[in-house]
Amino acid sequence: MAATPVAVPLPAGRPARARTTSALATLARRRAALTAANPRQIAVPLLTPIMFATVIAPALKTALGGLHTNIDYTAFVSVGTVGLLVPLAATFAGLSVLVDRDSGAQRELLAAPVPRALLVLGNLLVVLALCAFQVIALIGVAALRGADFTISASGVAWFTGAAVLFAVLSYGIAETLASRVPKQEEYIAATPAIAIVPWFFAGALFPIAALPAALTAFAKVLPLTHALALMRYGLVDPKGTGLHDIWGMSNTTAEAWLSLGVVVAFAAALTLLAIRVFSRSAVR
Amino acid sequence: MNAIEVAGLSKTYAGGVEAVRSIDFDVPAGEVFGLLGPNGAGKSTTIGMLTTTIVPTAGRARLDGHDVARDPLAARRVSSVVFQEPVVDRGLTGRANLELHGRLWGVGADATARRVAELAEVLGLSEQIDREVGSYSGGQRRRLEIARALVSSPRVLFLDEPTVGLDPRIRHELLDVIAALRAREEMTILLTTHYLDEAQRLCDRVAIMHRGEIVGLDRPAALLAGLGAEILELRVSGDASAALASLRDRGVATDAAFAVGSTVTIPLAGRPAADAIAAVNDSGVRAAGVTTRASTLDDVYLRLTGAELAAAA
Repeated sequence: MAATPVAVPLPAGRPARARTTSALATLARRRAALTAANPRQIAVPLLTPIMFATVIAPALKTALGGLHTNIDYTAFVSVGTVGLLVPLAATFAGLSVLVDRDSGAQRELLAAPVPRALLVLGNLLVVLALCAFQVIALIGVAALRGADFTISASGVAWFTGAAVLFAVLSYGIAETLASRVPKQEEYIAATPAIAIVPWFFAGALFPIAALPAALTAFAKVLPLTHALALMRYGLVDPKGTGLHDIWGMSNTTAEAWLSLGVVVAFAAALTLLAIRVFSRSAVR
Repeated sequence: MNAIEVAGLSKTYAGGVEAVRSIDFDVPAGEVFGLLGPNGAGKSTTIGMLTTTIVPTAGRARLDGHDVARDPLAARRVSSVVFQEPVVDRGLTGRANLELHGRLWGVGADATARRVAELAEVLGLSEQIDREVGSYSGGQRRRLEIARALVSSPRVLFLDEPTVGLDPRIRHELLDVIAALRAREEMTILLTTHYLDEAQRLCDRVAIMHRGEIVGLDRPAALLAGLGAEILELRVSGDASAALASLRDRGVATDAAFAVGSTVTIPLAGRPAADAIAAVNDSGVRAAGVTTRASTLDDVYLRLTGAELAAAA
């Protein structure tokens, strides 16, 4: 330690009230810095989806002959693996909340003069940026591997909207779970049920119409099913086959808006739930 | 004006545990106020309620005039806290931790940079400030947390057991740091500790908490004055409470005397020690050891609570 201090400087002036947007940006920057300090959090969730898109999908296409439609199966699975990548990234980010609580600066943040909802939203902004990077990497690698995407401005907009909303709802689930469970071990144990199981039922590797009727009905209530159908409508299947499997209507655009509405509703509800659960669990 | 006002503040946790039971105290601006007591006395719960991380069951509290329940953002804006356990981002540098506090508390970028440089110098962290906090020693991390709390120039600073877990040398150095904070005329400090020598050294007034209640509140000197300057301590081989009762019956000990474990403590209140020892011998109480010493806040605490502070802490 240096020489014993003899005086502490007097304050230079009272701090001005931090604006909400500034506080949100500060919290997001903090989360980004912590995430960047742990590159595994960025790279690890990418490994499995890239394996599916570049190894398993082409192999299944060769072995089984694909979808027997004009849709490229590698592109179909590549978009499907977004439904695995995003929940995995969100789940990893949720783990950071537990670390914050157990050995990080969460209590300092709770004592800060900012609305506590901003702590959740600041994390969410970084999750969105992280997912954007990972999804772009996944689609890019798949395209290099030969996946045939249909690119249009409106298609990219549908894809982006669905992916962003799905990331929002995925992080809502992760943050809610992180706020509820007392131990990191319990959180990790719950991860497969949240991040992986729905992926098998949501038409990631095959159309939901290929499932038994009861499972098809179950798949239709999963937000992931709607998100994947929208993403494929945007990048792979402009005819909206996945949307027809869900809604059975003749107007594809109307089906897309309906599915978007479902994903918006889930994203809003789960984000509000995450904020409520965090705010209530963070104080005793 | 009072910087901290607490009235009827209570906290009952789920399951019915009454951690804090209707406590009242005011702390004038600029005072260093100590909350003393062992673990479980309710000190940290009280700080939690004042810093809005614990919701009171009843009562009210104000920081610099802001009600912590009705206007928590304003209450948090005028205060900072150094927590009992480490609460830092270990993956960030010390500077990043301090800048984060400055931004969240609304300090401008230039002012934050100036404050960080000043505080790093004053707290002896200039060499470590750009290192990851994960590489800091326990004492360095504690000083960083104190520096962080000061970045926003709080009107009310909460120090929750700031020296717990530190080795004696670092503990004494940190006490020097906290004593230096008293130079800041505008800052009020609420300090919790179970080290009574810390309270005696740093605090203008202390409140002794026991089982969620305040059982004594005054200046350390005034609390000590109630016992007198000198103490006679007897170590008895049998029942200390029975020995105390016997000494009281014979007028050797007053109501201020108390027994804890195998020790009977008798405030001398100006009486010559030799006279008191002779009176003890005449009383028939068999003492295995007799000592005289100056009274301390430990004696005040033990008299008020009847509990062994060190054992409970």
